[in-house]
Amino acid sequence: MENVIVTRGLTKVFGANGNAVYALRGIELEVARGEFVALVGPSGSGKSTLMAIIGCLDSPSAGTYALDGEPVERLSGAALARIRNEKVGFVFQTYNLLPRATVSRNVELPMLYAGIGRKQRRTRALELLEKVGIPEKADRLPSELSGGQRQRVAIARALANSPALLLADEPTGALDSKTGAEVLGLFQQLNRQGHTVLLVTHDPKIAALASRRVELYDGLVLAPEPRAA
Amino acid sequence: MNATGAFGLRVAESWTEIRENLGRSALQALGVMVGVASVLGGFSISDSHEARSDERWRKLGGMERLNVQPAAAIKDGTPSALQSANLGLRNLDADEGEEMNRKAVNATSVQKNARARVRSTYADQTRQISGIGGDFLPLNGYEIERGRLFSTSELEAGAPVCLLGAEAAAVFFPTGDAIGESVSVEDARVVVVGVLRELVFRWRDGDGNAFAWRNRLIAVPSTYVATRMQGDRYQRVDRVTFKIPDLTLMEGFANDLVAVLKANHRLQDDFRIDDIAARMRKRQSQGQVYNIVFLLSGVLSLIGGGMVNVNIQLASLKERVREIGVRMAIGASGREIFKSFLTEAMLLTMLGSLVGLLLGVLFSKAICSFLEIPALLRPSSFLLAFGVAAGFGVLFALYPAWKASRLSPMEALRYE
Repeated sequence: MENVIVTRGLTKVFGANGNAVYALRGIELEVARGEFVALVGPSGSGKSTLMAIIGCLDSPSAGTYALDGEPVERLSGAALARIRNEKVGFVFQTYNLLPRATVSRNVELPMLYAGIGRKQRRTRALELLEKVGIPEKADRLPSELSGGQRQRVAIARALANSPALLLADEPTGALDSKTGAEVLGLFQQLNRQGHTVLLVTHDPKIAALASRRVELYDGLVLAPEPRAA
Repeated sequence: MNATGAFGLRVAESWTEIRENLGRSALQALGVMVGVASVLGGFSISDSHEARSDERWRKLGGMERLNVQPAAAIKDGTPSALQSANLGLRNLDADEGEEMNRKAVNATSVQKNARARVRSTYADQTRQISGIGGDFLPLNGYEIERGRLFSTSELEAGAPVCLLGAEAAAVFFPTGDAIGESVSVEDARVVVVGVLRELVFRWRDGDGNAFAWRNRLIAVPSTYVATRMQGDRYQRVDRVTFKIPDLTLMEGFANDLVAVLKANHRLQDDFRIDDIAARMRKRQSQGQVYNIVFLLSGVLSLIGGGMVNVNIQLASLKERVREIGVRMAIGASGREIFKSFLTEAMLLTMLGSLVGLLLGVLFSKAICSFLEIPALLRPSSFLLAFGVAAGFGVLFALYPAWKASRLSPMEALRYE
């Protein structure tokens, strides 16, 4: 099966010489297309750093990383921006919607950066809102929506450019358990439709929903589990 | 990023951005607005005043004139032999001046004044009599309303004929047409051959006629004053005026004229050359000083506004750091962020400028209506005000835009 994520010896060092801190110390990770992987680990384990690199928000200090078959570890800022736009869909714990832009415009934003025309953006945004179950909220402001609805908007936005990877960082961290379960259900549903999902969490119960768990400790991947189906 | 580079798309996006952040945008546009209004308003007021002043000069017979008047050459003590032999400013000087450079001079006039008792059936007053010669009337903005000009032979012979200004005609002949009637100048009878059109100039609409004195003119041929009233066979005059339509020839002509006149005047500096155009240039350069002051005050308010702008943008940048992080996470490059900041600033500058131009027009109209002069708005002032504002708007947007574009997406996302 084709791999969406392949990292080899991925290392990230913060600081220099005397007081260098190794956040990642040689990560070997492969995620196949269509997988639902949970990335778990205590704070300080390097989860966030790994997520930033996988999401192309940051570059590794050493090692290689291919996203959707494309080596990205040496790419410049603008090229990384393009990769993020085309291949990665972010879902954050705090939604990170633009507060003064309507729901529909929030969803359209990645398409705007991809250079898609206004009409087409709008049509696609409405489709996506339908898909995440809130088609009627298109012209509302995020502040008029509940937490669960906002996260659905964020998920619709993440899907806008049909990315190779959905990258979710504690997506239910700010939600109550019932709403959280609904949002997780949505991720599972998207995974069943073929989307590759990498979910970062510290909650073992959430991690259990994934088809595979990758545990991080002190900048290294612990005890790789056998791949499920 | 293909079509995102499209300017139109970015402008549309910036416009949405501005509408989503009205308060901040309005504050940003305010500085530009005030600056533009100040530059345009100031220029317009200065131009309006200048235009008014130019109009006065036109009505006085144009500014491309050179006046020569007698001046005292003998300061004190006994005059020297040369000084005693000097005859002063004469008709001859006018003729020789004109002769000297026919290409430059297109009209010449002389004026010789005297005071005399003037009587008609209706009035008896002591008045100034102006002995005129050459093209006196057009050179001084006078026009015949009724009757005729002096004929050449009348001018040469010093015939007892006169022209009356509107006021003089009304005083000496209040009941009817003065043409063909006669007045007594001292004891000689002088026939009225023409009446002049009334000259009117008001600095402001409600003001009195600043040209009222000019309607008091009682003009006779200068030769009449010289021969019949004063017995001056040298035909000395009080003023010689040359009209030099091509102002570039003025200075050379004035220099040559000094040489000719000095030779005529036994090397005495007993005359004064008054170059009206030079006076106008001086006045214009004064006007330029005002314009520079207005421009400077406009530029200062633009700089002030610009600094406020930078501050607002930097403050809002803090507010927007997370937002920029989000935008970067979903695919905006630093370049994209830079361009969108700049586009937004440009759009705001444009809008601010437009409102500022409107304000400037209102400002100028208000001041001009207070001064009661017609407001003059030159297109060049619009362009200048707009250009300066646009320049400053973009200049002051560069730093915040650059700063925003340099944010690291990771840190921006984590920013609280």
